[in-house]
Amino acid sequence: MPPVATPWRARLAVAAEPWLYLSPSLILIALVMLLPLVIGISYAFQAISLMNPFDSGWIGLQNFSTLMDDAKFWKSLKNTFHWTLASVVLQFLLGLGLALLLNRGFHGRKLVQALVFLPWAVPTFLSALTWSWLFNPVIGPIPHWLAAVGILSEPYNILSDPDTALWGPIIANVWFGIPFFAITLLAALQSIPNDLYEAAAIDGASAWQCFVKITLPFLAPMILITVMLRAIWVANFADLIFVMTGGGPANSTQILSTYIFTTAFRKLDFGYASAIAVVLLLLLLAYAALLLRLRKSLKMVDS
Amino acid sequence: MARIDIDSLYKRFGAETVINDVNLSFEEGDFIVLVGPSGCGKSTLLRMIAGLESISAGEIRMDGKRMNELPPRDRDIAMVFQSYALYPHMDVARNMGFSMEIQGRPEEEKRSKIEQAAEVLGLNRLLQRLPRALSGGQRQRVAMGRAIVRDPSAFLFDEPLSNLDAALRVEMRLEIARLHQQLGTTMVYVTHDQVEALTLADRIVVLDGGVVQQVGTPMELYESPANLFVARFIGSPTMNLMDIKVLAQPLGEQAFLSEASQLGIRPEHLTPVDAGEGHLQGRVEVVERLGADSFIYAQVPGAGRLLCRSKGNTSLKPGVPLGLHLDLPHLHGFDEQGQSLRHA
Repeated sequence: MPPVATPWRARLAVAAEPWLYLSPSLILIALVMLLPLVIGISYAFQAISLMNPFDSGWIGLQNFSTLMDDAKFWKSLKNTFHWTLASVVLQFLLGLGLALLLNRGFHGRKLVQALVFLPWAVPTFLSALTWSWLFNPVIGPIPHWLAAVGILSEPYNILSDPDTALWGPIIANVWFGIPFFAITLLAALQSIPNDLYEAAAIDGASAWQCFVKITLPFLAPMILITVMLRAIWVANFADLIFVMTGGGPANSTQILSTYIFTTAFRKLDFGYASAIAVVLLLLLLAYAALLLRLRKSLKMVDS
Repeated sequence: MARIDIDSLYKRFGAETVINDVNLSFEEGDFIVLVGPSGCGKSTLLRMIAGLESISAGEIRMDGKRMNELPPRDRDIAMVFQSYALYPHMDVARNMGFSMEIQGRPEEEKRSKIEQAAEVLGLNRLLQRLPRALSGGQRQRVAMGRAIVRDPSAFLFDEPLSNLDAALRVEMRLEIARLHQQLGTTMVYVTHDQVEALTLADRIVVLDGGVVQQVGTPMELYESPANLFVARFIGSPTMNLMDIKVLAQPLGEQAFLSEASQLGIRPEHLTPVDAGEGHLQGRVEVVERLGADSFIYAQVPGAGRLLCRSKGNTSLKPGVPLGLHLDLPHLHGFDEQGQSLRHA
């Protein structure tokens, strides 16, 4: 029997079949992620302010040029870097130290491991309130301790001093974020075979050399991925600052995400808020791309 | 090269005694094999010599110097692990040179030593590879290279061949024997495989339940096992064992028979003869022909299944009745406690 040319409808059906199977999730992703993203980005090129409902419409790049001259934006950008860098670095270092401690055998390790996870489980709103009270010299002990060891000249509230205010939320954030690093790095540590350390001990390596030459190379992929994730979360993480300082005093604790929030929901200027959000998105994308390339160029350890 | 002395050594984990009053002396340049079933304490003993396991009581000396408190790196030993324990993120050259990297030795010295060791083991072409890109046998060679590079006074091997397939195991066994001849360094080798023990060792230490059962050259262990455990463990196929009652009548008065409770005879000292002759009567169960040898499994009433090993081919067929002749000078007698009567 001579081969019959497949009719175009049959061929279309074959081509469409996988897409039809995928369609429920594709439609869902499009509706809840892509569509809002596109609309949000389009806002950045419009004037949409509920305070000026009649003065709306497409304005091209005007939001962005306003942004260039906005001192508050530049200050927030600088604070975002400061906030993210200090929070992630301290969370990582302390988390790594904690993971190394938890990786040693001692009595009650299981219990300590469970307790370590606790800050992560406390609602951020609650920890923010508690920390702002701890920093308040009227009810909290921290200013008195800091004054006693000579870090503060007198027990005042560091949250009310523009020079030190950002450190309040950073400390709260470090306390909150350590468990994340401790738990993920502990899991990675436990996957390192013990005979490598024994081989290294016979090869003459000291504890520090074992750490630098075996532990760190093994942890490197995990460190990179957790630092990347954490940095993106922290950069977007407005809750602690919003509750503890509300961005003040004098915008000294304003970061981009709190600035976006106040612009959108206090000043009700959605166009301008979207423009800031687009800038933040681009910065984070560039950062993620950089880290992913770094990860690729690193020689990955066989797991 | 080092002489190793072990004096009344104990290792306890909680209430469990894993090494129980072990006394051993290894001469300089000896190839010592520690052999025993799994859980007998052989690896623990090796790790105590390496310094990876603490000592509960007793003393380990190298060249007369007490080692108990020294960390592994100060003992001048090299160890090859069962898992090879290669550093997965370092290439072959760096794996082999890691001990020199730690000591901060100059680059040229490192390179020449690594190349020398690679030459000995045939690894020259693989120096830039990562361990994951190597075959099992190649990884094994790298692990040995890492040990050789250090030029230690003793090598410790912890079941180094157990992860290799049969053919490769024979090849690497020869390699290790050649290495010992070439270097002449003291080697302590742990295995559960008695063939490895017999072929490699100058002296074998048989361990069971943390207690030394017997120490001797391979032929001493083969020809005069100290007890039932060693008799069963050393030799393949294993020694035939039977109750004394089976042989009391056909043998008559042998010097040690009165005290013996069990008798043992190796398959090559049991000869099939015509039915009605010899010491025992039975029936052929299975015949295995291996070319150079034939294994004849015979069912003997009261004694169960006995194995004869005879040279060349045999005309015996399953089901045929046969007699078995015992080569009496090679008969082993064991008392109630399983101790060899001749050995004592």
